[in-house]
Parts: sequence; structure tokens; C-alpha cells
Amino acid sequence: MFLTKKAIPRRTFLRSAQSALALPLLDAMIPAATAWAQTAAKPVRRLGFVFVPMGCDQARWTPPGQGKLGELSPILAPLKPVKDQVTVVTNTRLPNAYPGTHDTSNSAFLSAASAKHTESSDYFSGTTVDQIAARQMGRETQLASLQLAMDLNPLAGVCNNGYACVYQNCLSWSSPTTPLPSEAHPRVVFERLFGEGGNADARRAALRNRTSLLDSFTRDIAKIKQRVGVPDRVRLDQYLDSVRQVEREIERAEQAVTTNKMPDLDRPVGVPAAFADHAKLMFDLQILAFQADITRVITFQLTREQSNRTYPEIGVSDPHHPTSHHGNDPVKVAKIAKINTHHVSLFSEFLQRMKATPDGDGSLLDHSVYLYGSGMGNPSLHDHENLPILVAGGAATGLKGGRHIRYEKGTNLANLHLTLLDRVGIHLDSFVDSTGKIEDLFEQIEVA
Amino acid sequence: MTEPVSFPRVPRVGFAGLALTLLLSGQPVKLSAQPTASQHQFLDRYCATCHNEKLKSGGLSLVQADLSRPGAQSELWEKVARKLRTGMMPPPNVLQPADADRRAILTWLETSLDAASAAKLNPGRTETLRRLNRTEYQNAIRDLLSLDVDAASLLPADESGHGFDNVNVGDLSATLLNRYISAAQKISRLAVGSTQSSLESDTISLSADLTQEDQLPGLPIGTRGGVSTSYTFAQDGEYEIQVSLMRDLAGVVSGLREARSHEMLLLVDREPVQTFTISKATIGDEILNEKALKSRITVKAGPHNIAVTFVKEGSSLIETPRQPTHSRFNDRRHPRTAPAIDKISVTGPYGAKGAGETPSRRRLFVCRPTGQNKVEEEKCAGAILSVLTRRAYRRPIDKSDVDKPMAFYRQGRAEGDFDAAITAALTAVLTNPEFLFRVESDPKKVGENGVYRVSDLELASRLSFFLWSSIPDDELLDAAVRGKLGQPGELEKQARRMLADRRSVNLATNFAGQWLRLRNIDAVNPSGNLFRDFDDNLRQALRQETELFFDTVVREDRSVRTFIKADYTFLNERLAKHYGIPNVYGSQLRRVTLTPESKRGGLLRQGSILSVTSYATRTSPVLRGVLVLRNIVGAPPPSPPPNVPALDESTMAANLPMRERLAAHRSNAVCASCHRTIDPVGFSLENFNAVGQWRDLEVEDQPVDATGALPGDKEFRGIDGLEAALLRRPELFVASLTENLLTFALGRGVEHYDAPAVRKIVSGAQKEDYRFSSLILGIVKSVPFQMRRAEMTAVAAK
Repeated sequence: MFLTKKAIPRRTFLRSAQSALALPLLDAMIPAATAWAQTAAKPVRRLGFVFVPMGCDQARWTPPGQGKLGELSPILAPLKPVKDQVTVVTNTRLPNAYPGTHDTSNSAFLSAASAKHTESSDYFSGTTVDQIAARQMGRETQLASLQLAMDLNPLAGVCNNGYACVYQNCLSWSSPTTPLPSEAHPRVVFERLFGEGGNADARRAALRNRTSLLDSFTRDIAKIKQRVGVPDRVRLDQYLDSVRQVEREIERAEQAVTTNKMPDLDRPVGVPAAFADHAKLMFDLQILAFQADITRVITFQLTREQSNRTYPEIGVSDPHHPTSHHGNDPVKVAKIAKINTHHVSLFSEFLQRMKATPDGDGSLLDHSVYLYGSGMGNPSLHDHENLPILVAGGAATGLKGGRHIRYEKGTNLANLHLTLLDRVGIHLDSFVDSTGKIEDLFEQIEVA
Repeated sequence: MTEPVSFPRVPRVGFAGLALTLLLSGQPVKLSAQPTASQHQFLDRYCATCHNEKLKSGGLSLVQADLSRPGAQSELWEKVARKLRTGMMPPPNVLQPADADRRAILTWLETSLDAASAAKLNPGRTETLRRLNRTEYQNAIRDLLSLDVDAASLLPADESGHGFDNVNVGDLSATLLNRYISAAQKISRLAVGSTQSSLESDTISLSADLTQEDQLPGLPIGTRGGVSTSYTFAQDGEYEIQVSLMRDLAGVVSGLREARSHEMLLLVDREPVQTFTISKATIGDEILNEKALKSRITVKAGPHNIAVTFVKEGSSLIETPRQPTHSRFNDRRHPRTAPAIDKISVTGPYGAKGAGETPSRRRLFVCRPTGQNKVEEEKCAGAILSVLTRRAYRRPIDKSDVDKPMAFYRQGRAEGDFDAAITAALTAVLTNPEFLFRVESDPKKVGENGVYRVSDLELASRLSFFLWSSIPDDELLDAAVRGKLGQPGELEKQARRMLADRRSVNLATNFAGQWLRLRNIDAVNPSGNLFRDFDDNLRQALRQETELFFDTVVREDRSVRTFIKADYTFLNERLAKHYGIPNVYGSQLRRVTLTPESKRGGLLRQGSILSVTSYATRTSPVLRGVLVLRNIVGAPPPSPPPNVPALDESTMAANLPMRERLAAHRSNAVCASCHRTIDPVGFSLENFNAVGQWRDLEVEDQPVDATGALPGDKEFRGIDGLEAALLRRPELFVASLTENLLTFALGRGVEHYDAPAVRKIVSGAQKEDYRFSSLILGIVKSVPFQMRRAEMTAVAAK
């Protein structure tokens, strides 16, 4: 077999296609398998993304200076215990998120792509960075990736400013037309990770049953295909892609039935009433998923855009969204900063727990890279400039921590996505509107 | 400044374009409706001063638009008609036409558009593949298997488009597929009660802000707090019920005081089966070992009512020295005075003794094999699966439809007993795309213009998913199979029968839940400092009030005008106190006739809608204004401009009343173009606070200024004025309700080519005083509901 490392940039396809058809990520777009020992010190083994909505108070977010991360800003102060494992990236932007809306802030965050302005089923955005990474990183794990969120019920009528709700609610898209639903219920997440219980034989039988059901489903889809037109056949092919993905998951789950033990954690029952408790549980599930190596790619929407959540526990009883339209009112800006700080502190506690969890020759944090941030910059302007962005963990993968990378000129966030993909082992020439890589985020790789 | 981004750029249709359209339509153009000089004059005078080549306000110039044949540019002219009809245009700061002139041009415009549409029907194209959403899936399982499941715990949430969650349902990600399979496995085990099922555990959690000091709905008199729920037991056998009590942040049981004991009751089907005594003495220190609050019950398979509650103590309740409130759940502000239930979990079966007799088995097992004869068993399985697949796939079935689940049956029978085999076959039916998806496909031959009448079977599904959010029942399916739905009278008969059926309650819970955003009430968490009386008891009563009220309009076939003005509503004691209405007692909501002093009656006075359009700390005239304009008046304001212009509030006084704050907002020209229509509508509701209570004074004792206006209408005062203005032009509200119903019925956005159908439905309903059924029947008989545009023409048209 002839292996080449030249990858076809995905966007060339999309640009030339000029149609609303979803392109499955062809294997040709994924570079040939790379022998890690030869090219890289250590690839990024686990990748996580935490999304926070509605930007931040940039004055209280941005730390002073650049280069070595010195004094932390007020919002980032909770990161002190893990400061040497965090890099602050200042002055990135999402040009394709314009015109500035909540919908595009969410949908462009990981795709860097623009969102087709529609409320109907012809929605179209871009394949997100986590999903491209999952094609490589998810090859061996039971779940290629995991999508988590905090908001249980979709709200009626809040995202109908001409954009379908998928843009605002779905962080991960496995193709420009396939948004992935996320799960906010801890018990459901637990069962996805560890099955619904029962002994090994019962679990194996249940998995076998699923395989036959999928076979049957595939045959029935073929039958439906005969009586629909071409565009709908494309859609049915997408269903079959999903079938194949589930089949792969089942295969790996079958292998894991004997090796995987149920974790030493009570099966969560309900959803904790307090936001912080719920968030902590969702973060803990990420640690469990990584520890058991059930997945290596996770996205987590800590709150959604336009959230009207109040935070009386930290002294903010005003709803987040209207307060974020602060119009420079210092009282409101201070409240936004408080919410930003609260979110960062939840993330910091998670990083600390990751740091305390041993993994290989270091900690789970050393072997994971997390991107934390928002698709909006200044919420009062609804802009996508100077986004709040953190990259954390990854010491074992050459991620340099304790740094502040500060761009003089607004630099596209896609550069960060391209850099992360590169370290995952997917070497693309570009990612959507990237203009290059972020050079000093990782140690230079020495060829062994 | 004029309004931004509402009109698309208009293609200039020159002579060549016109000729081309003429050729394509293949229809002789009716020349009877030629525009007269007065129509040109109207446009010149009232529209073209802004919508001209130079200004192109809102991206629109009407100078070159072709007025001679509006039908050729129906998208443009439908927008113009809507703006004129709803009074959105001309804007208030410019020259206004006389009412008669406005009506004249509208009549002419709408007549021309309707004629053009009738000459060349465009029913639109619904999606070919539509997945059952959560609500539809839950209802379908109920109707297919006589089994109540909670789909919210089985499937991920659906995403909305055009305001409804049955629009964007064409996708099937791996996550979704996985969840549909898990759901099918779980449901099949539960429905059959197969002995192979292992120990299962479910937890019923109560809301943390549920007050449990008094009797709750569905629980016996003389009790307080707790929960009553229907739970389906998979098999005959023993089950363990474990109760947990609410605790404070320190883990101490709430409401437990010195020297008092509390009796907690476990009831199965309303019969007490065990009493627990809870007191500080019996549990030693406050960290209660809840293992004591556990009971083993023996039940038959099937649904049973499980209730856990407390015996209500006498009136010698120790009052806390703080201000008494109705709500008692907050440890610091208004603590519980007695223990409360946090959750109950049911685990079982222990010592399972088979499935016994359950409603699901009665529905599913149309025959039972006697003895172990394999041939007879297979025959019976075939009979079961024939009935099941026909209902599940909503169509007549052939041999191959039964063969597929039969293969699962045989595999299952080889490994287990008959029940286990039926469970396997049922799982296969529930994961079949013909069950999970509604498929509408083009027939081989389509009519003129590439449009066609959908098949009777497709029509039956359209009807049942519209009125019931579920699959057709046998009667409807039989009628469709016999081709009767095309007969005059039969469709109407079926629709009326279905409206009268209990299942049409989905119009209140599912349709109105989204139309009026009632669903969002679970996310309403008013500030505890400002609204200390808000708890889950009130939240649920608010939701039920609107659902019950909506349901009476359906069931009693009232005029939809009732939605705007009514002299009755539904209240329980808690909600009546919230509204300040005397003499309503008990926890059950009941119909109450209202006096004018009550300030209630009509949807826009109901706390549910007023709360979901408020923030935690205050009302939002903007959210309220947008809801009324978009969903009641049918004059949706344009989306906020992207890149919202920042309003510098740093110089604004912190305590500026809302009206003045918004006035500053409107001083910005870009904001003003929309907010001058939105805000006045919201202001007229300012007498209702953020949780829907009446108030005469706003913050700091300033009298509420509820002066408001609808677009293009005179100024009015308060909710009375708003309702009067809405009822002066009922056709606007009725059209808006129709558009929302039509979106829900079709599962697609209502487009400009649907406007003639909407007008026809509204004018037809007018003759029947806008009775609810007249709207439903109008929709059911409409072109977009009965017909569909074929794929090829969709391409050719573009």
C-alpha cells in the first residue's frame, strides 16, 4: 500500500461544490497514518473543549504583559493553582461569525465557519474541529467523541431570529449539515459511558442485539431509498454514516465488556439543583470517560448563548443575557465579570482534579489538552473580536503552560484549531479561514 | 432612520423577465385586475418616499416593482401586503394614508395575489423524511402499546425552527440513533414484561422549590406534601421503594424540629401500605440514616399509583417569626416547618413472577399460544406482528413487513421463551425507520405544475400528528386504507372526531406550549429576594391554568376570540391567592368565573405568559412586545440588527424606570426603527409584574404608566386597551394563530406562497365567528395541507 502524507484540504471541496450537500469526511482528507515515534514527541492524546457564552469583561479578563504569564487578571485569578498549566491567548477573532449574533457565536466557535441564515432544515455550518480530531483520536475508543451541555430543556421561541436553534444549541457538528445533540443529564451520560448495568453476558447480548437491529435498519433504509429523490437519498446516506459510526462504537464496547470495570462512582440519579454541583458532576464524568479511555474527545457547553440564568450564589441575581448588554454601565460590567470568574473557577477546579488524577507518567491533565473560551468578545457589542481563550493542560504533549500569547493584530481563532489538529496528528494545510499556526503554543517537535 | 433588513433586494423584473414568467406559467394572464392610477398613487405617496432607488430603505425600492401583475412577484407583494395590513408600514413618523385608501389597495393587492395563486397552485414542499420528535415518540408509544413512558429521559431534546420543534427533524446523528435503539430496547422489555429483564431502578425527583406544607394535587385530603405518580412495573413481584428527604446545604434534614414527630405514608393505588415515623429522636443525630425509609411492596405488573406523603399535622403549626409566605423551601429565607420528600426510587423486581396481565400486554397480544406447539406459536407471533406493524408504520403491510421482525422473533425464541421472542421482535419494529420516520414521497405521476394531492395514508398521518401529535388510530387508518379521506365530508368527520377525542389535548400542551412559550416556565426562576412567594407549586399552577384554558376553547369549540377576552379561567387556592382572587380553596385547579375587578381573563393576563416574558428581577416590555407582535398580531418585528449598536449606559442613572431607559434606547435611530413598535406593546402590559401579579405602582412608588399602542393604531392604556385594539381587528390575531397552527401542522415554515391559503382559512372562519374548529377544518382542507410540490418542479422553479 502506498501511503502519502499529503492531505486534501477539506475546504477546497466545500468551495468548489457550491451546493448544500453535506460531504462526508472522506478518508482521503485524513492524512495517512503517521508513525508518531518518527515525527512527534508525543501526540495530544485527549482533547477537550469548554464553551462559555456571551464573551466577557475583557478589561478584567486580560492579564497584563505577554510571554511568561505573570500576575493573573481578576477573572483568571481562580486559575492560580494550575497557572503553570494554562496559556492565555489574547486577541483572536472569528470573522465568519459575523453578522454578530448569539447563534453564530456558538456555531462558529469550533467550526470557524459561517452559518447559513435559515430556520429550516437546510441549515449549514462547518465540521467542527473536535469532530475532525475525533476521526483520528476516536479510532480506538468506544465513543469517538462525547457532547455535553448543562441546559436540559430547549426553550421555545428564543432562537428564532432567523437562525435555526441548532446553531445556538449544538457545539459539535460532524458535517456542515449534521449538528450533534448534547447531553445534560448526568445519568444518561453515565449510561452512555458504562452501559445500563447487568453482568458481562447480559451486556454482551444487548450489544449483539444492537448489531442485528442496525443491520435491519440499514436494509430498511435501502428500501426507502428506492422511493425518494436524489437529495433525500443523500440524506439517507448520512443516516447510514451514523449507522456505521454506531457499529464501530458497539464493536469497541464489546471488546471492553470484559476489560472495563464499572467505575467506583454511584450511578448518578437526578440532576443536582445547584448549577455548580451539576457542572462539577459533568466535569467529573469527563474525568471518568478519559480515565476509562472510553473517549478521547469531549465538548462541553457550560451554558448556552442567551442564557438567562441567574447566579444568586455569587451575588448576581440578574439574568446573564440582558446584563451582558451592559452598555458600559460599570455595575453591569462588574456583574458580568463575576459570572466570568465563576465559570473560570469551575473550570479551574476541574483542572485541579485532573492534575490530581494520575495517568501514565504524569497526571490526566498532563496528557489532555483543553480549550476554554467564548465565540463572542464584548457581549455589549455582539462582536467576535478579542475572544476570551485559554488553552490548558498538555504538559506531556509539549504544551507550554504559564504563558500569555498576545497578538498585536486580531488573529483568526482557526489558527488555534489548526494548531490543535496538527498536534493530534491531522496535518492540514489550513482550517477554514486560518492564516497559519500558533507558533509558540507547543514546544517545537524534534524528529527522533 | 428606517427599519433594517426586512426586505430582500427586489429583482427588477424588466420586460424580458416578464415575458419569460408568462411563458413558464403557461397560463393566460387575467387582465381584469389591472392596477388603476390610484394604486400607483398610493405607492408613490406612502411607500416610495423611502423605498426608492436612492434610499432603498430596508434594502427595498418599489419604484421599478411591477404593479401590473403582483402574482409574478408574490414574495415581494405578500410582504408589502403584510406590512400594510398589520400597520407596520408606513412608519408612524411619516405621512399616513386614510384608512379607506389603505383598505382599498390591500383588497386589490390581496385579490390579485389570491387569483394568481389559484391559477397556479403552490402547496409548498414538506420534508420527505421527518423523524418523530420526543413528544410524538412518547405519544406513539402510548397509542401503540398502551404504555406511558417519559421520552425526555429516553431521547435527547429536539431543536426548533420557525418556533416549533417538529420542523427541523430530518437529521439522524449517531447519538440520536443510539438513543432510539436504547429506548426501543427499554420500552420493549417494559411492554412485554419479559422475564429476561434484570433489576431496574428508577428515581422520581421532586423539585427543590416545591413547598410541601399543604395538600398537593392528586394526594388525599388530610395529607401534606409528597408525590403521587403512576409507575409501570414490568413484572409481578417485589419492588423496593426508597424515600429520601430534602436536606439543607449542610446535609441536615430540612424541617425537622425538636420533639415533634411526623408520619410519612406510602400508598399503593391509594391504599396505605406502610407508615414511617420521622422525628429527631428516632434518628439520633441529624444525619438521618435513610435506610429506615425503605419498604418492600408486592405488586402485579402494569401501571400502579405510587404515593408518598405526610399526615397533615393539626393547625398548631409553629409559625416562624418571619413574614409568613406561601412558599416554604428556602433554608434561610422561609424554611420548611416540616420534613419534605426529595425523591423516591423504585428498584425491582425481586423474585419476579412473570408479566401477569397489563394494559400493554392486552394491547400487544392479540392472541396467546396455548401449549408449546411451535407452529401455533409462530402463527400467533405473526398475528401479533401484523397488527403491530400496521399501526406502527401507519399503512397496510405486506409479508416482508412481518418477515423482518419474525426473524428477530425466531432468533429470540431459539434463545428464550415466547415472551422474550416477542420482545426481540417488538424492538425491531420500534427501530424500523418506517416507525421512526414519517416519509412522504412523490408519486410517479404528478399533476399540472408538478403539484399533487398527498395520498390518503399520508393525509391520515398529517392529520393525526397535527391534532394528536401521534400516530393515527385504527378508525382513521381504516378510512385512509379504504380511500375514504378524499370523499367530501369524511375528512371533516374524522377531524371533528379527533378534536373531540381526549388526545387533542396535545394542542394545548404541545402546540400552545410552544406558541405561547409555556414550555419555558420550567426555566423561570424569579429572584427570591423580590418574589419570595414563587415556588414550584405556583409554577405548575401557572402552566396548568393556561393549558386548561386553551383546552376549553378546543373542547367547547369556542371562538378563538376567547383567547383574547374571557370571563373565566382556571385557578387553585395558591394561584388565586397569587392573583388576589378570594374564595378559591384546595389544590386542584377548577374553572372560576371572573369579575372585572379580578383583572384576569384572556391569555395576555395569565401569569404563565407574563412570567416567561420576564427576567428574574423585572419585566421585559421588549420580550412581551415581541411575543405579542410575532405570535398574536402576526407582525414579527425584524430580528435585532447583527452587531448591535452599543448603547452607552455608563452615564444613565441606575434607577431609571424601564420606560425611560428604553426611551434612551429609542433615541438611537437604528434601535428606534423597531423598538418604537415593540416597546409600546410591552408597556401596555406593565401593570403585571415579572410573575404576573397586578401592580399599580412600579419601583419606588411611581405609578405604572401602561400607555401603549399597536402598530398603525391609536394610543391606548393598559391591558384593557390592548385587548380592545386586538378585538377591533380580530382577523389579524386569527391570521397569526392560523399561521402558527399551519407551521405546526405542516412541520415547515409558512412561506409567502401560503398566504392565500391563510387568507382563505381566516375568511372562512369569520363566517363561523372564528370557532376553533373552523380554523382547524380550514387548515385540514387547505391546499398546503392536502397537497405537495414534487421534487423536480422544486428544482425547475429555481
